[in-house]
Formats: sequence, structure tokens, C-alpha cells
Amino acid sequence: MATMSKLNETDIQGFVLRGYNLPYARYVFLHLTEATSARALIGRLLPLITTGQRWDGGKPASTVNLAFTHPGLVALELPDATLYSFPPEFQQGMRDRAAILGDTGLNAPERWDDVWQGDPVHAWLGINGQTPEAVEACFAQIAAVIAETGGATILGAQDGAAVQIAGKPTTKEHFGYTDGFGNPDYIGVERKSQPGQGKLLEDGKTWAPLATGELLLGYADEAGELPVAPVPHILARNGTFMVYRKLHQNVATFRKYLDAQAPLYGGGAEKLKAKFIGRWSDGTPLELSPDAPDAAIAQDPMRSTNFTYGDDADGTRCPIGAHVRRVHPRDAFGFQGRLINRRRITRRGLPYGTFADEDEAVSDEQDRGVIFMALNASISRQFEFVQQQWIEYGNDAHQGNDKDVLMGNHGGRGKFVVQGDRSPSNPPFVCSGLPNFVELRGGAYFFLPSITALAMIAMGLVDPR
Amino acid sequence: MPNQNGTVYGLTILSPIIDDERATPSHDLQIRHYLATLPTDEHSPFAQVPGTHLARLVVMDDVIYVGMPACEEHLNSKYLIFESNIDCPDGNVDTYLRGLAETVAKHLDAIWSHCVGYPGAGNVAAFVAYMKACQLTTTFFFAAVNDKSVTESLRALQTQKAVAEFIATHQGMPAAQLQAEFLKFAADVKAAPTPRPGSMEQMMLARREIKTGGHNE
Repeated sequence: MATMSKLNETDIQGFVLRGYNLPYARYVFLHLTEATSARALIGRLLPLITTGQRWDGGKPASTVNLAFTHPGLVALELPDATLYSFPPEFQQGMRDRAAILGDTGLNAPERWDDVWQGDPVHAWLGINGQTPEAVEACFAQIAAVIAETGGATILGAQDGAAVQIAGKPTTKEHFGYTDGFGNPDYIGVERKSQPGQGKLLEDGKTWAPLATGELLLGYADEAGELPVAPVPHILARNGTFMVYRKLHQNVATFRKYLDAQAPLYGGGAEKLKAKFIGRWSDGTPLELSPDAPDAAIAQDPMRSTNFTYGDDADGTRCPIGAHVRRVHPRDAFGFQGRLINRRRITRRGLPYGTFADEDEAVSDEQDRGVIFMALNASISRQFEFVQQQWIEYGNDAHQGNDKDVLMGNHGGRGKFVVQGDRSPSNPPFVCSGLPNFVELRGGAYFFLPSITALAMIAMGLVDPR
Repeated sequence: MPNQNGTVYGLTILSPIIDDERATPSHDLQIRHYLATLPTDEHSPFAQVPGTHLARLVVMDDVIYVGMPACEEHLNSKYLIFESNIDCPDGNVDTYLRGLAETVAKHLDAIWSHCVGYPGAGNVAAFVAYMKACQLTTTFFFAAVNDKSVTESLRALQTQKAVAEFIATHQGMPAAQLQAEFLKFAADVKAAPTPRPGSMEQMMLARREIKTGGHNE
């Protein structure tokens, strides 16, 4: 497979190449009015779009990125031959894929937020910022452009913010876990790389970046093929697909469930909570430190993601059904991890809602959760596969019908097995009657074009011939 | 013995479908139509046949070469493919085939009567001979199960589910009480009737509501 030294960073939206690590965000949902004014709007937004260019002069106060749903591209009057060339799951959209994704019952589209119930969402505008004021100022600037061009109406906006502890932004989420360890490395994407974040090599312990085509359209993927992409090639190249999901967290239910189970479990509450996800609350992987959190490991990039499950086939350290082991099984399925290299996604997003300390009373009705955004070259092969086979089903992980303990749509009937050994502090344990700790409140599939493609859309130059 | 995996046997049968241009709809479409009506759960006719782990029926029209340059080749016939994993510890498939003929003759006739030379399931000896004549001995077959019998597999699934439930409802119980309850539980599990083949999905704690069979490659 050809390797490349560097990507054209100025042609790729910055959101694709890096997690900005900016603590505030607003995700704006637009309905485009009609093609001419919508193109004018995109043309005016173009100079504001943050590219993947390196920030040698430090982080900007705010960033802007732009993506479209398939109905959005229809509203922009892209040629039919282009519109029909998009992968079927993107043309259908997340709502119509509910049965495939297991988005039923409490997660069903009828229960989603209002913004998903009226005029269709055509575009996502992501603003990230260093301060709420920076986000607000950027939003005001964009809202003015929208008003001037008349290219869109704002259907709604979702604010997100990193959880602050002692006045400092953290990577905590509302259940109290530490998030943000899992993103893979890709060939050509400059990033502070750390062992455990790409793909496993044949020796079973060295890690290397994944093929660029697992993230970006127009490049060879792990099969050595170009990902399925729309025509013309120039529209697709340097773009990607984004899955947006608003995941409400039932923090009260989560705490109540743990409180009820913990006295029955010999390892204690903190350990049971860690068994759910595969990491202690501070992020220490159970695989590396099964008995207690170890900040020295959690904060060492050479160790915090550098592990495999080969020596823990029975799941006595990290349960086989623990969240991180399910969604990134590493070597757990054998074949040096090759069965999973085409199922990786890149995660973006931030929590939303007010963080509640452990001693603070909470209710499920309070608006808090996480905005989950996944970037991948193929929504069906990557995100949808992970969601369907590894979150909502357990067969690949030899967990039968058991769903992911944290993310699963359990409907009160879920089960999770904590494998154990003979030690009294690490006994086997079965969690049953699992409720939905997380509920889907809306989302969609977006196409996140390159800068060139955005300009072509703005100028009406997309030509599939 | 490439068709044998322990006590389980991979029985694969390839029957040429009658090519008759006067038949409307054609014989292959008539098979497809009938297969589409068959249930796939415990009400599947093959679930009634003793020793069936898995049975899959496919109509193969042709084999298409998709490489470059294009190359036109065709099979001599359309085929009905029957693939199965069956209990067959001694490697002699006669017992299973007789069981088929004796249990679901009506369905067999509805399907295989569209195939060349099919004698009908009424004549069991002729049926067994026909199926064996069409058998494909493989070097590699789809092994859907390990080498336990259908009854052993069903009881194992039943026991696994019961044990998980028992643990969930008895965790943390004082030892003496736990032992008493476990002895009763073990006796109950032993005495419980074996689930019917194909019925396990309904018995599972959380049924799969998810739609599968998409094009998730």
C-alpha cells in the first residue's frame, strides 16, 4: 500500500484532522431556503471555515466547520447523478436507518428533540471556542451572514462544553468517567501519536497508523481500495462522513443502579463502575491495573492506551463486555486485530448540560449528556457496524444477545457479565435488569466536504461528468 | 472425512433444477416462491426433522465472473443448494435423510419436485438414493455449531440462560441458603424439558429487535 508523507491540510476541514481541545461548542442546525441564496451563504462562510492547517501561532479564539445532510445537498441542487452516487445509508439518513441501528423504543426517532421533528436539517455548523464569549461572537457573526444572504433558517442550536472541575476543563463525562482515549491514528494525519491508537501489527504489540482511507475519502483504505464515494472525485476527495448523535445520560438511573448492585459485588462500587467501561474513573485501563487506579499509567501517553487483551481472554481483568473492549477490541478477536481495522471511527464532540458532583442530587429529566460525533469514510461499514454488532449485539464478543452495558438500548431487560476469578475482591458478577443509561435524542448523517468541494458547491460547479 | 466435524456432519446437496421453457413461472422461480413462504423459527419444517442444527436452501442461477476482462461462462444448469449441519456421529447420512422423508415429505416434494430426476419422498429408499447421488462431498463446509448434538446444544443454551438468571437473583445470598436454592435449581434445570429446536430466540432474555441482513460488509 502506498504511504504518503503528508496530506494537504489546507484543503481538509480542521475538524476532521484534529480534536480541537477547545472547551466550548455550539452546533447549529440549518434549513437551507433555496439553492441560489444557500450557495451564496456557503460562499460567504467559506473564508471562516477552519482548515487543518497547523496552529503555529497558537489556538484561535474560535473555529467553524460545515457539513450537509443528503436533503441539504438536494436543496443545494447538486446534479442528480452526484446525489444518487452517495452511499445508500447517507441518502437514507440516520432516521430511516433506525431499525438497523437499534434506535427503537426509548431511542426511537418519534422521541427525538423538536429540531429533528419539523423542517429537515440540511446543514450542521460546528463552532468551537476557547470561551463561551468567543463561541457567542462567532455565532453572531455567522447569524448575520445567514440573515444577509437569506440562505438558511436556523432550526436550532446545541451547546456543548467540557466538564469543568475546579475551574479547569477536563475530559470527564457525566457518569464520572474520563473520556477521549480512543481515537485512532491515520497515515498522513499529523498528531501526537501514542501506542495503542492505530492498528496492531503482526507481532501483536506494535501499533501503526491506519490507512488514510478509513478516515478520508479519496485515499486507499485498509483493504487497499478507495472508499465508496460520490462523483466527481474532486467533490469527495479530502471529505468524510460524520455521524451526529445527541446522547442523553440518565445520570440518576445510572447512580441508582450502581448503588443497588455495588453492595452485592465483592469488588466495591468503584470497581464495578470501572468494569462497566474497562477503565477506572481517572482513565486507568483495567487491563493494565485491575485492582486500583494508577494515575502514573492514566497520564502517561506511552501507557494509557497501550495494551491488548490477549492475556485476558477470560475477561478477569477487563470484562469481555466492557464498553472499551467491545468498541475497540484490539486483539480480542484474534488475527492480530485485523478483523477490526475496518471498523474504527474517529470521535469528536463534547458533553452538554451541567455537571453534577457525586454528592449532588440529580434527576434523569435534567438535560445532560454527550454530543457524539463520529467521522468515518463509510458510515455503514464503520459506525453502523459498531453500533449494530458491537453495541446492540454481543455475538462477536461471545456475549450472546447482551448489549453494551453503558450504551445499549436495554429496555430494562439487559444483562452484563463481569468475569472474575477466585479472589474475593474480583468475583464473577451478573448485572441484570439493565435500564437505558443513555437515550438517543436525535441525530443525522452528514457529509463533511473538503474546502475545494465547499467552494465548488458554493459556485455551482459540481459536475459529475 | 472432510464432511465430519466430531459428531456433526456438513451435508451439502446440489440438485439440478428442471429447465423447461414451457413452465410459467419457471421451476427455479417456483422454488424461490415456496422457500420465501417458509418460516425460519421453530415452525420451519427443518426444525421438525431430528438432528438438524442448521439448514439453508439457496437457488443458484449461475456463477458470474466479476473480474476484468469480462469472461462469459455459465453453469450447465440452475441448481438448488441444500446446506446443513446435522447430527451424524457415524458418518452415515441415511438416518437423517430417512428422517427428512418421514417428517416433512410434503415440503420436500413441494421444493424438490422442480428438480431433475426427483423421485418423491413417498418412496423413502429412492429419496435417500437420490439425495445421496446429489450430495457434494466438500473439503470445507460452513460449521455453524461445535460438535455437540442438537439436544446437547439446546440444553446448554437453556442451562446458560437459567444459570445467568439464577446468579442475577441469588448474588450475595448467605451460603447455606444459596446452597439449598442451588440444589433445587439444579434439580429443576435437570427436570426441565429440552427446548424445541428453533425456539431459543424467543426464550432469550432480550430478544433481538434489530434488523439485520443489511449490506454491512
